[in-house]
Amino acid sequence: MGLLKKTTGLTGLAVSANPHHTLGALYGKILRTLQKMPENAVYRKHTEQIVRERAAVLQQTKDVSELEQKINCGQAEELIIQAENELNLARKMLTWKPWEPLVAKPPKGQWDWPPAQQ
Amino acid sequence: MAGRETMKTTCRVVKPLMSTDFCEARRRAIGLYRAFYRYIPYIHKYFDIPKSESQIRSKIREQFYKNACVTDIRIIDILVMKGYMELQEIKYSWQQKGHVMANWKPTIEPRPTDFISKFLNGKD
Amino acid sequence: MSLFFNRTFGAGKFLGRIILSNKKSPIVQRLATKTDQATAQVETRPTVAKIDPIQKTHLIDFGKYIAECMPKYVQKVQLTAGNELEVLVPPEAVIPVLQFLKDHHSGQFANLVDIAGMDVPSRPNRFEIIYNLLSLRYNARIRVKTYTDELTPVDSACDVFKAANWYEREIWDMYGVFFANHPDLRRILTDYGFEGHPFRKDFPLSGYVEVRYDDEQKRVVVEPLELAQEFRRFELSAPWEQFPNFRGNPATEEVTNPSEDKPKQE
Repeated sequence: MGLLKKTTGLTGLAVSANPHHTLGALYGKILRTLQKMPENAVYRKHTEQIVRERAAVLQQTKDVSELEQKINCGQAEELIIQAENELNLARKMLTWKPWEPLVAKPPKGQWDWPPAQQ
Repeated sequence: MAGRETMKTTCRVVKPLMSTDFCEARRRAIGLYRAFYRYIPYIHKYFDIPKSESQIRSKIREQFYKNACVTDIRIIDILVMKGYMELQEIKYSWQQKGHVMANWKPTIEPRPTDFISKFLNGKD
Repeated sequence: MSLFFNRTFGAGKFLGRIILSNKKSPIVQRLATKTDQATAQVETRPTVAKIDPIQKTHLIDFGKYIAECMPKYVQKVQLTAGNELEVLVPPEAVIPVLQFLKDHHSGQFANLVDIAGMDVPSRPNRFEIIYNLLSLRYNARIRVKTYTDELTPVDSACDVFKAANWYEREIWDMYGVFFANHPDLRRILTDYGFEGHPFRKDFPLSGYVEVRYDDEQKRVVVEPLELAQEFRRFELSAPWEQFPNFRGNPATEEVTNPSEDKPKQE
């Protein structure tokens, strides 16, 4: 495991004892949630790509600081938060189904600027 | 205002605010009336106003009857929401004596209606 | 190159489709030259904001990315004033779009900077609600706009952003837009007993009531105000609309417009 860092330097964010394990579990959960979405959903495609690449780096590197450097998106603890958020979002996306066609067209002239003079 | 569109009379589907039919909206309005009614003794007790409980009661009735002609469910809902907000303001004493007494409008003289008093006031 | 893209801590390659990047890359450089030709000459006047073409390509890409990811909710994506990305959504889509921008890996717009309102009385949906978001991770801002009228409720964003609580109360107080599922919707800026919503365009300059101290009553009294005739005329057009220069070059440029059925640009 090596030397554990003392602090993340961020208020309210404790150092994670075993970030590899937590991240691995979270990425697995995200990918399993994404499986339930239709194949051609763009959200699924992009998220899967991001998560797969991060999970691959996670498997290759054993050192935490090296992992942080390779992913380049903050400290391991922040990566955990990001993964938790993504999991939360993916689960909500299942109910929202954003890959469907547009839910409501804007009324005519709604987004015109300057507003139409009558 | 020339730019204002004339009101369209056609029906359109709208998103309900809270109530889905008139009965429910009416029930909410009556609920608000009850909440106010129950709070009358406390208004009388906590605010130093020269009004009796029955006068407060009739004022509340009057304010509700002012909106008796409203039939749009969504407008009723908005009015009920605003009523609850006002009750909350009274409850927590955010509104003070002056605000509560403003309902009676004691300083406002009624507008002149007949010709002579209009003439004397210099108003049309 | 602006400071915007020099935030490189730690070397390493990109992961996933990160569009709002915090690092330079040759692909981006190539795209930038393409838009450079489109935007013509470089701005040299010291008082005029300089548009960073690389930042602009990033924003355009990210705008397309959102529209792709949520075709159900995004009506239009546009770029205002050169470098401000705006996502235009219907009122049903506020929560999903804000949640997506906040929680998605390549967005991370975790800060809600402000919620603003706008009133255009000649439109069928006269109010616009505008959410300004900030991503500290990618140093980027985005704006989500939606529309509503006096009686249609908008879903409260309090579940997504805690900061939305007071901002929505402000909007309720100033415009009278109702937010559904708000935990504590009540007035925040106006005085108790105040009538009307002052930021509406049809709210008279002087208000509906006036307040004074009455010596006889020994307290403050509220009296309805008689509006002088000149205050009853409402000038609804904004002053800058009258300038021909403003009319000539629209401030917004479209990024994608899924709500209109026409072939995609580029």
